[in-house]
Amino acid sequence: MSIVCTHIGRSALAIRGCGAMTMVRYAQTAAAPAPAPRIKKFQIYRWDPDTPGDKPRMQTYEIDLNTCGPMVLDALIKIKNEMDPTLTFRRSCREGICGSCAMNINGGNTLACLNKIDTNTSKASKIYPLPHMYVVKDLVPDMSNFYAQYKSIEPYLKKKDETQEGKQQYHQTVEDRQKLDGLYECILCACCSTSCPSYWWNGDKYLGPAVLMQAYRWMIDSRDDFTEERLSKLQDPFSLYRCHTIMNCTKTCPKGLNPGKAIAEIKKMMATYKEKNMSVS
Amino acid sequence: MASFVRLSSVCHRGVKPLFARNTFLPRELLACRTLREKDCIQSSVQIHASSSSSHSAAGSKAASMHWTGERMVSVLLLSMAPAAYLYPGPAVDYAVAAALTLHGHWGIGQVLTDYVHGEAKIKLANASLYTLSMVTFAGLCYFNYKDVGICKAIAMLWSI
Repeated sequence: MSIVCTHIGRSALAIRGCGAMTMVRYAQTAAAPAPAPRIKKFQIYRWDPDTPGDKPRMQTYEIDLNTCGPMVLDALIKIKNEMDPTLTFRRSCREGICGSCAMNINGGNTLACLNKIDTNTSKASKIYPLPHMYVVKDLVPDMSNFYAQYKSIEPYLKKKDETQEGKQQYHQTVEDRQKLDGLYECILCACCSTSCPSYWWNGDKYLGPAVLMQAYRWMIDSRDDFTEERLSKLQDPFSLYRCHTIMNCTKTCPKGLNPGKAIAEIKKMMATYKEKNMSVS
Repeated sequence: MASFVRLSSVCHRGVKPLFARNTFLPRELLACRTLREKDCIQSSVQIHASSSSSHSAAGSKAASMHWTGERMVSVLLLSMAPAAYLYPGPAVDYAVAAALTLHGHWGIGQVLTDYVHGEAKIKLANASLYTLSMVTFAGLCYFNYKDVGICKAIAMLWSI
């Protein structure tokens, strides 16, 4: 009997304690003033090709940062969900691994999902599509030239002797594998290429930092047999040598990679590689 | 002067095949923007198809030699500063004149390649560049021959 009593007594205590805590919590909430809305202005580039005669314009949206996630992409999704469903932009993974939401935010190319909203509410955030690209609609640029250039560097393993293909793995030493670190992480968001003035003026013939860094990634892969051929493909004044070490690419890369250094390494290899190793394939 | 002509002819020869080779990505993509989207997709397919075949003509090292030449002239030009200070004389005068002209010629050439588009304009720009470089070199040589020479002239800046 006494045991039951204690038990009841304990649980009553527990309930009382719980009630006291809730009261404290209410008291805290009541004491704190209701958070003042932090209205942030977003000026977003709008252009709709389906409306005849429509000219590009900036549209301003106002968002309360208290009810919005911390990243620019959260704000864009909030606008699209709650304010203006016609706003068009690309997004997918929302964590900086797909490269879809690359855009120009406050003058710099980044991924909207990795870029924190500037909490200074006195200044509007300006969002444009990637600079110097053809715009499909609003914040969506046309990437077909970029992808065609990526395809032109043959971004895959190439072997001279294909008879051993698929029989066993191509092994690599730890050191050789380490050479690819800082190169393979590129997600081809095109932030770097579209920040490069050389790519703005000669984007049709200059490959641009993103594609050149991938070209370098395959040149130095210890398993690839076509290094010299890959180098000799860049032997013209435009594909590679439009790089003037401006370094906007490295500065803007949302993944913290260094395309500028990769291009410099290619230039060094270009100056020293031997043509005699090349096959006629 | 002879080396100047030879080097620039090397870099000029390098340009031509590359222009032909690179036509797969170029301005045809720009041209298709005005067409409807369907046509654009078609032409980008053609671009993809042609990209692998049109590359095989490579073989000349002209572009990378030009780049190496540029670096060498830059380093040479830097090393000429102490040389001109220690051994001023006609030999250094003419060497500086040649290196300076070549350095400027290639440097402006890069700017023109960047910014001048269109075949006729490129030809005009190159012709003007060659004229400018010739006049510069002739002027510097004339100055070396008839006047005090580059080294002495720069040294005289300190006595002003």
